[in-house]
Amino acid sequence: MSVNARSAQFSMRDALYEEPGPRTRRRIQIGTAIAAVVVAALLVVVVHQFWATGQLDPQYWLFFTQGTTWTFLFSGFLGTLSVSLTAAVIAIFLGFLLMLGRISGIRPLAAVCRIVTDFFRGVPSLLLIYFFFLVVPQYGIKLPAFWMITAPVALAASGVLAEVLRAGVNAVPRGQTEAALSIGMRPFRARMLIVVPQAIRFVIPSLISQLVVVVKDTTLAYVVSYPDLLQNARVLITNYDALVSTYFVAAIIYILLNYAINQLAVLASKKTGSGRVDRMTQNST
Amino acid sequence: MTTQDTTAPVIELRHVEKSFGDIHVLKDINLAVKTGEVVVVIGPSGSGKSTLCRTINRLESIDSGEILISGKPLPEEGAELAAVRAELGMVFQSFNLFAHMSILRNVTIGPTEVLGMSRADAEREAMELLERVGVADQAEKVPAQLSGGQQQRVAIARSLAMHPKAMLFDEPTSALDPEMINEVLDVMVRLAGQGMTMIVVTHEMSFARRVADRVVFMADGQILEEGAPEEFFENPKTERAREFLDSIRGH
Amino acid sequence: MGFSELWSTYGENYISALITTWGMTAVCFVFVMVLAVLVTVLRVSPFKPLRWVGDFYVQVFRNIPGVSLLIIVVYALPYLNLTLDYLPSVIVTVVLVASAFGSENFMSGINTIGVGQIEAARSLGMSFGQILRRIVIPQALRSAVLPMTNLLIAVMLTTALGSQVPLDTPELTGVVSYINTRSAGGILAFAVSALGYALTALAIGFAGSRLDRKVRVLR
Repeated sequence: MSVNARSAQFSMRDALYEEPGPRTRRRIQIGTAIAAVVVAALLVVVVHQFWATGQLDPQYWLFFTQGTTWTFLFSGFLGTLSVSLTAAVIAIFLGFLLMLGRISGIRPLAAVCRIVTDFFRGVPSLLLIYFFFLVVPQYGIKLPAFWMITAPVALAASGVLAEVLRAGVNAVPRGQTEAALSIGMRPFRARMLIVVPQAIRFVIPSLISQLVVVVKDTTLAYVVSYPDLLQNARVLITNYDALVSTYFVAAIIYILLNYAINQLAVLASKKTGSGRVDRMTQNST
Repeated sequence: MTTQDTTAPVIELRHVEKSFGDIHVLKDINLAVKTGEVVVVIGPSGSGKSTLCRTINRLESIDSGEILISGKPLPEEGAELAAVRAELGMVFQSFNLFAHMSILRNVTIGPTEVLGMSRADAEREAMELLERVGVADQAEKVPAQLSGGQQQRVAIARSLAMHPKAMLFDEPTSALDPEMINEVLDVMVRLAGQGMTMIVVTHEMSFARRVADRVVFMADGQILEEGAPEEFFENPKTERAREFLDSIRGH
Repeated sequence: MGFSELWSTYGENYISALITTWGMTAVCFVFVMVLAVLVTVLRVSPFKPLRWVGDFYVQVFRNIPGVSLLIIVVYALPYLNLTLDYLPSVIVTVVLVASAFGSENFMSGINTIGVGQIEAARSLGMSFGQILRRIVIPQALRSAVLPMTNLLIAVMLTTALGSQVPLDTPELTGVVSYINTRSAGGILAFAVSALGYALTALAIGFAGSRLDRKVRVLR
């Protein structure tokens, strides 16, 4: 009993090793010390490279102490958020429709939805952006920059979300449908009232972590000159002539944002007790 | 198997102590198991009996005390520890067959990898063992295709393939459906009849009555009582043992 | 512009673009696997500092947007005296990002094995090396087939970043903007590239699930 309780806290990477004896413990200590030195040395090399090339000079970093810098970056961050959230809402809606189409039981509809899903999962978001940026205008349709980035990002995500949702539907035990049918529900009602709500609950963590993909795709906004975080970072660079520091700061902001979203997904999956479908296991860039 | 020091117990624990954090799971455990003896360890869940079983081949380390295998201290690590483990069979509650290997390979992997036996010899012997435990016809399947009872019998065959001088059973029937318990117990009864030295942690009282040379009763990390099965079951000396026996007879 | 006109003018560009995309994908994936294995070794090593480095690597590169990283590699690294050509820059970017996910796939492959099998192997007297070789690695590899298939597709899609830098031969996404800056290719110019990607993805997915069915570990 206590054994199981204990091994539950251990991850598999710890389980690979047994409790060390004195000899092994010594070896691990020595190895740890060497590793620490190597890691520290690497860190020193990196920092030294920054220092030696003058990239640590105050001129490249001092403007980050000014409020205006952050106000400007924040306005870009808001641009990133508004594209991300709009695209996410559209993608969930479209993904939901595609999923419903696939499980509708109507053959031609299911086939069409499958092709559409596979298409959007199999095509890079950048190509979709070029479609809205280069191709659509050729037909006389002039979209605002916001939609030239939001629409393709949403479409790319909808394909993945359709698959995530379908995986959720498949994960609902058959007994649920059978129970619904046995109390006289029609198949369609059983799906909508019994299966789909459970499926959504089940895939909430995956939906959250898909938001990371959407946020990443929004960085392509500069293609259509929409002022998102990365685009505003570029403007900063031309103002302050501080390319390295600004791009690193922008990258760190993205990493922290996406890390936070992923942690949220982990939290949600602990709460719902369901597994999490990761980004690249449900392919998409 | 070994000729050295036949007078020493095969397995001996002296003043063994073990804690998981604040929980004191083994308190001053003393136990000696002679060649050919079958010792059944019973007790309420959480009494430390599983941990006791797992310390004997050092799947759990101990905090203090001594564990002797054929009179020699249990090594703490490395090839010496592996060599002792190879001589002690272990059967787990959850079977733990290697999921990616055929049943046959599960039984031959020990002999070929650890004992350096040729694949052909190992397979010949493995088939005999699988025959003995009644799953020879499943040899080419993978574990997930077998019932729990079948998997546990394969696990026993896997241990036997190493020609162990003693076997440890850690609640071998606790994860089984009721109708499969007996097929596993039958194999164990036969093993006991053939003179295998065994330590069996179990909740199967009928098995304990039938094959145990000695019953050890544990509660709260301590051995409270030990003795011949008839004596223990008819006439438990401690209050805890009486309560425990009542609770399992109760329903 | 009709299809025949498009194809007679730009057919060769599409073909070389498709080959470039395939080639970049293949080269990247090889490096992705190598790096993913290395990072995974760091993450499962018994040495804490190496684990931290591995975990940190994964968190950084699974969360950084590809473009953001590409920009750093192409424009920022030269300031740090590290200059790469355009094509290697794209490859490095794709490999860094995808190997983080590759390592995650290996880690979850290891996690599916379960402590019990390791303990069983240990109690047979198998050494740490034997347990890794015979029990852990084979199972981790087999259960990684499907996720790695999806990763391969993702790698292909990520090579579209190549369109953001001048390459000698543009890849499938770059060729669309190349054509559109010369003539109005319309929806067809886009569709040819899109089909190139989608059909390749379909083929990879098909091959991957065939392989998975063959080697999958039943549980």
